[in-house]
Amino acid sequence: MSAFDWGVLAVTLTGIIAYGIWRSRGSRNMDDYLLAGQSLPWYHVGLSVMATQASAITFLSAPGQGFTDGMRFVQFYFGLPLAMVVLSVTFVPIFHKLRVFTAYEYLETRFDDRVRTLTAGLFLLQRGLSTGLSIYAPAIILSTILGWNIYWTNLLMGGIVLAYTVTGGTKAISYTHIQQMAVVTLAMGLAGFLTVAMLPDGVGFIDALHVAGKAGRMNVIDLNFDAESRYNIWSGLIGGFFLQLSYFGTDQSQVGRYLTGASIGQSRLGLLMNGLLKVPMQFLILLVGVLVFVFYQFNPGPIFHNKLETDKLKNSPYAQQYQLAEIRHQNIAAQRQRAVLDMQAALKTDNEAGQTEAATLLRDTDAALKTVRADVVKLIEKNNPAADTNDVNYIFLRFVLDYLPHGLIGLLIAVIFSASMGSIASAYNSLASTTIIDVYKRLIRPEGSDRHFLRASQWATVGWGVFCIVVAQFANRLGSMIEAVNILGSLFYGVILGVFVVAFYLKTIGGRATFWAAIIGEVFVILSWYLQLTAFLWLNLIGCLLVVGLAWGLQRLWGEERT
Amino acid sequence: NQPDLPPFARSWSQLYAIVLGSLAVEIVLFYVLMRWLS
Repeated sequence: MSAFDWGVLAVTLTGIIAYGIWRSRGSRNMDDYLLAGQSLPWYHVGLSVMATQASAITFLSAPGQGFTDGMRFVQFYFGLPLAMVVLSVTFVPIFHKLRVFTAYEYLETRFDDRVRTLTAGLFLLQRGLSTGLSIYAPAIILSTILGWNIYWTNLLMGGIVLAYTVTGGTKAISYTHIQQMAVVTLAMGLAGFLTVAMLPDGVGFIDALHVAGKAGRMNVIDLNFDAESRYNIWSGLIGGFFLQLSYFGTDQSQVGRYLTGASIGQSRLGLLMNGLLKVPMQFLILLVGVLVFVFYQFNPGPIFHNKLETDKLKNSPYAQQYQLAEIRHQNIAAQRQRAVLDMQAALKTDNEAGQTEAATLLRDTDAALKTVRADVVKLIEKNNPAADTNDVNYIFLRFVLDYLPHGLIGLLIAVIFSASMGSIASAYNSLASTTIIDVYKRLIRPEGSDRHFLRASQWATVGWGVFCIVVAQFANRLGSMIEAVNILGSLFYGVILGVFVVAFYLKTIGGRATFWAAIIGEVFVILSWYLQLTAFLWLNLIGCLLVVGLAWGLQRLWGEERT
Repeated sequence: NQPDLPPFARSWSQLYAIVLGSLAVEIVLFYVLMRWLS
């Protein structure tokens, strides 16, 4: 990071925060503070929904995933457009017509206060903890690569968001989301463009795609139904649909975004915009990672992308073994470069035999490089058993720091902050609105002026901000961050979705049956995770089906009237 | 909410069909791209 990069980073972040505070002045009541006065147009809603979902890890991890595993992760998002249509038909009109602040308010109208409080409580627990993790995840990567102190980075990451969420509320969050999406799009576009521009003379974008295809990185679609493989078209369409439906339909950090629409139609259009743009956006982010992979076919790349760990090796008893591995790596990389150039020549002359030969050599050298890498990972583990041996999240940032020009480095660090701020701001806001609307106003102090509840919402935002930063400070004992966040979500999302499915589609089932079905379902989900009965992704579906099945059974057993 | 519809769609159902149709077209294009490059 040069002084110029620091300047770009500071100006970008200050600009976003100042603009958000300036545009939201005059939020003087709860309707303004929590729902932006239900006045926002569809493109605001759409960008806000997208900025909330795209966290820092999206821009760090997805290019790394494209680099190591190719394009197949894009299938994970195929269920999203389907979920957007179901939400537009079902959830949006109901939430809008009831003029609710939170999704859980509706549950009292449909069931009773117990179901509402239980569901709001599950949300607060899950979202409060996972926001702490989403502060820590980018902070640890930045602190490792840039040498920043992790505790101060956590504080900065979680703290600067409070500057505009406490004072400006939802309107400030929505306006800053637009800025954040603009910064992200500009910087990622520039990074992709420059990566192609830095390829050797005579190697263009289409050539790069051919190299990636021959190296097995353009594996966009997998039509095989395989329960073992995490990403194929079926797990994306079916599993992805349930995951996205519960995330967008029952998580207040998203519900709070599309409730700001000026009408049912504007909210719907915002969600449908997300449905149209999300898959192409993820495709392009993954493609940046694939282009970085192609770049490293022509240029020397690191064996292991987390420099902190390899630097430790250089000063350890294993230094000599690491040095030998580096020499092997360089030799194989030189062979691979020749194979890629042969491939280029064969493609240009339509020489099929040459293409096949080069492709075989390319895959052989790729496999040999993976072997060297596995040896180095073993050395890292021997040297430090507690080391993080997963470097996927470091690939893109390492490339940015090693090869991209100053100024753009600062802008891409700003992307990580911006994306992180966008998600965290929505989370703080949703935690505060659920705390005040579903707990404080409902159970503790039902009577009070609008001004009193506005102040209480601001204090709740501060309180949750502090809570999430404290969680982030303790998160370094949890291992893989992305898995931790997804597991945490899967423990609660399925049950919450089950409650909403009963509410919307099974009109004869009452509050008592649903409440106990949710309690039993949640206990079962946590037990099956604890006893490792199934992979965590399936917990979403199991939780949902359990609540629906149990609620139906209990209703038949008790035969109560619908409450 | 009828005036909220964009000029190219006459009803919400038509708009939903456009979103789902776009997904289908993307999947087909991705598949063709993959076959072409492999």
